[in-house]
Amino acid sequence: MTSWLLLSLAIITFFNRYAFFSTTVRYTPGPGVRKFLSYSSFAVLTAIWAPLVFNFSPTEGVGTAGLDYLLATLLAAVLTIARVRSILVVLLSTACFFSLRFWFF
Amino acid sequence: MSASNMQHLRQGIVATIPLAVAVLPWGILTGALAIQTGFSFWAAQLMSLLVFAGAAQLSAMTLMAGGAGAPAVMSSVFVISSRHLLYSIVFRQHVLQLPWRWRVALAFVLTDEMFAISEAHTREHNEFSPVFALASGLTFYVVWNFATLLGIVAGDAMSNLEQLGLDFAIVATFVAMTFTDLFKRPVLVAVLVSGALAVVLQHWLAESYIIVAALAGMVSAYCVDVILGSDND
Repeated sequence: MTSWLLLSLAIITFFNRYAFFSTTVRYTPGPGVRKFLSYSSFAVLTAIWAPLVFNFSPTEGVGTAGLDYLLATLLAAVLTIARVRSILVVLLSTACFFSLRFWFF
Repeated sequence: MSASNMQHLRQGIVATIPLAVAVLPWGILTGALAIQTGFSFWAAQLMSLLVFAGAAQLSAMTLMAGGAGAPAVMSSVFVISSRHLLYSIVFRQHVLQLPWRWRVALAFVLTDEMFAISEAHTREHNEFSPVFALASGLTFYVVWNFATLLGIVAGDAMSNLEQLGLDFAIVATFVAMTFTDLFKRPVLVAVLVSGALAVVLQHWLAESYIIVAALAGMVSAYCVDVILGSDND
């Protein structure tokens, strides 16, 4: 492990984060791009959480990480759609998850 | 500091705690893996202090342990952390008028979690709060580095932590943040397309499935918005 490699990795991750914070970049997103970007958080967050609950292999198709994950995710989804406050959604569905996990699975 | 900034500071810390707890096992794993890969104590901790990107750090160490050269490690880290470019462009309009010190600090602690929490806060209040975002990012930074330290000094004693299921807190938080607007047609499409693609692509694109699936979801949502409009009416 060389320290220059560590430093290079730090520069790479910082570059990706700071790139559009820089005033030397002259780009201003137009209305179309802003509309496109307004869907970024929905898309990225789903792309992060969905593979924690569901998995896929070409031989076995789609599976889940377990019934505890699936049921607790369904509860979180139903509570959110029913307009329960997000902090309560997180607490209730996480409590449901660990109850299922330690008592049933 | 004004009363409203104090409030944002507190809210930013509180909102981040469930996600910070959820990544504890991965932070511990990162520290433990660094020692196994042959890092010194300081190099292992410095990696979390300077690089501060979980998936990229884990991938870099796995590659190094397998004997990969620096170009392979660097390109892998670039691809994995490329989704931060997306967060950077989304936040650009909010941070451009801030002094450079604020922009550097916010960029340094810009993670999936900080982006998610700040975006939700901005949508709810119709205003971006740099204090909230920085509080969220720094909370995550402190917890991530604390977890790395735990992994460095006690990694062997804490095996199997990732099987505890703490990652469910990520699922719960992200579902709570995205399903609020599911009644909007483009949001529904973004969620369905990016979720399905991420699940399937993870098998083939270990490093880039998140950004590829997310971009496909965004393109689909944009097309639906332009063609059909943003509301179900």
